[in-house]
Amino acid sequence: MIDMVARDAGLSHPGGPKIEKLAEKSNNYISLPYVVKGMDLSFSGLYTAARNLIESSEFGIKFELEDVAYSLQETSFSMLTEVTERALAHTKKSEVLLTGGVAANKRLQEMIKNICEDHGTRYEVVPQRFAGDNGVMIAWTGILRFKSEGEFDLSQTNIRPKERMDNISIPWRN
Amino acid sequence: MENNAIMRGDILHKGAEASLIHGFWFGKEVIFKQRTPKKYRIEPIDKQIRLARTLNEARALIKVKNYGLNVPQVFEIDISTSTIVMKYIEGKRLKDLISVFDDDKKNKIFYEIGKFIAKLHQNGHIHGDITTSNIIITSNEEVFLIDFGLHEYSDSIEDKSVDLHLFKRVLISSHGSDFDQCFKAFIKGYLSDYDLISSDEGKYIVKNISSIESRGRYVKQEERK
Repeated sequence: MIDMVARDAGLSHPGGPKIEKLAEKSNNYISLPYVVKGMDLSFSGLYTAARNLIESSEFGIKFELEDVAYSLQETSFSMLTEVTERALAHTKKSEVLLTGGVAANKRLQEMIKNICEDHGTRYEVVPQRFAGDNGVMIAWTGILRFKSEGEFDLSQTNIRPKERMDNISIPWRN
Repeated sequence: MENNAIMRGDILHKGAEASLIHGFWFGKEVIFKQRTPKKYRIEPIDKQIRLARTLNEARALIKVKNYGLNVPQVFEIDISTSTIVMKYIEGKRLKDLISVFDDDKKNKIFYEIGKFIAKLHQNGHIHGDITTSNIIITSNEEVFLIDFGLHEYSDSIEDKSVDLHLFKRVLISSHGSDFDQCFKAFIKGYLSDYDLISSDEGKYIVKNISSIESRGRYVKQEERK
């Protein structure tokens, strides 16, 4: 989601670290949709609102990108931290491990660490070099696709950042 | 007002969001549900969430109580400290009872819970966080639903399905071995009550659960439709 906003703002890949850098320069919070349902999160309204802020200059109101970045991070990370804390309170688990691309974000680390301290829970985060996109995983997917479907012309390969995981066909499985 | 009219006692439970403090309020045994500030989030978000959820929960409790459903009665709301004073419900959390219940008891209680949620949904209320921690069973086996902090108003099938889906997930993850039996009894109770008013809507809601599941992330290949 953060990568998508970064792309809309014209930032090059990877957007996450750039949004993080921008966010550090601001403490001006713009209210954004905060949607938590039980243990589930919904980012679609948040994303649309952030995109509208970025595109608002078309309508004569200009929001600073660093303020949008700051507000986006604070809102989405508060949501993530809230459900993590709820999960801790409900399951009484003794450990939290932060993984995935966004695990590299210092602000999210700080928030998750904070609730772990409150609940007396062990907190760990994957090393920075494992938090980025996984090149081997992508290459391996490419190999599997090549083996099952053969060669693709470069012009036929598309970048579809909003493609959903559950809409991708996997021809080498069934 | 006398000084001893309001008395705060021990903290009974420190949840993720709020502390539940036992006490007395003009002679009544009550719970002070206080949403405490969270250090991890910035003040504007923290204030907004605590205020919105306190008001939302209090309003929902009052409305739902009016349908004759078992929820704590609200006595006082203090916005400045985001506290709701509500009736103390004597009982045990369902979470701690499931393993003690025999099969008949499980069927009966989950059937009752199903009927309860159906009544809630028919009146346009989504609880938003139906878990076995948020259901209290009294000594005479009455079902009480608590914690309306994530309550929403909705008449849509989708929102009602999501509510059931969340409960299903809780049962699978926290009470896996009892899941099949309990959820079946729950759905049976849910449909039995829904059928009284509109014959098909309940079925659509239940059917829609699997559609929601298939949309989620990290769904196993073989479970995808």
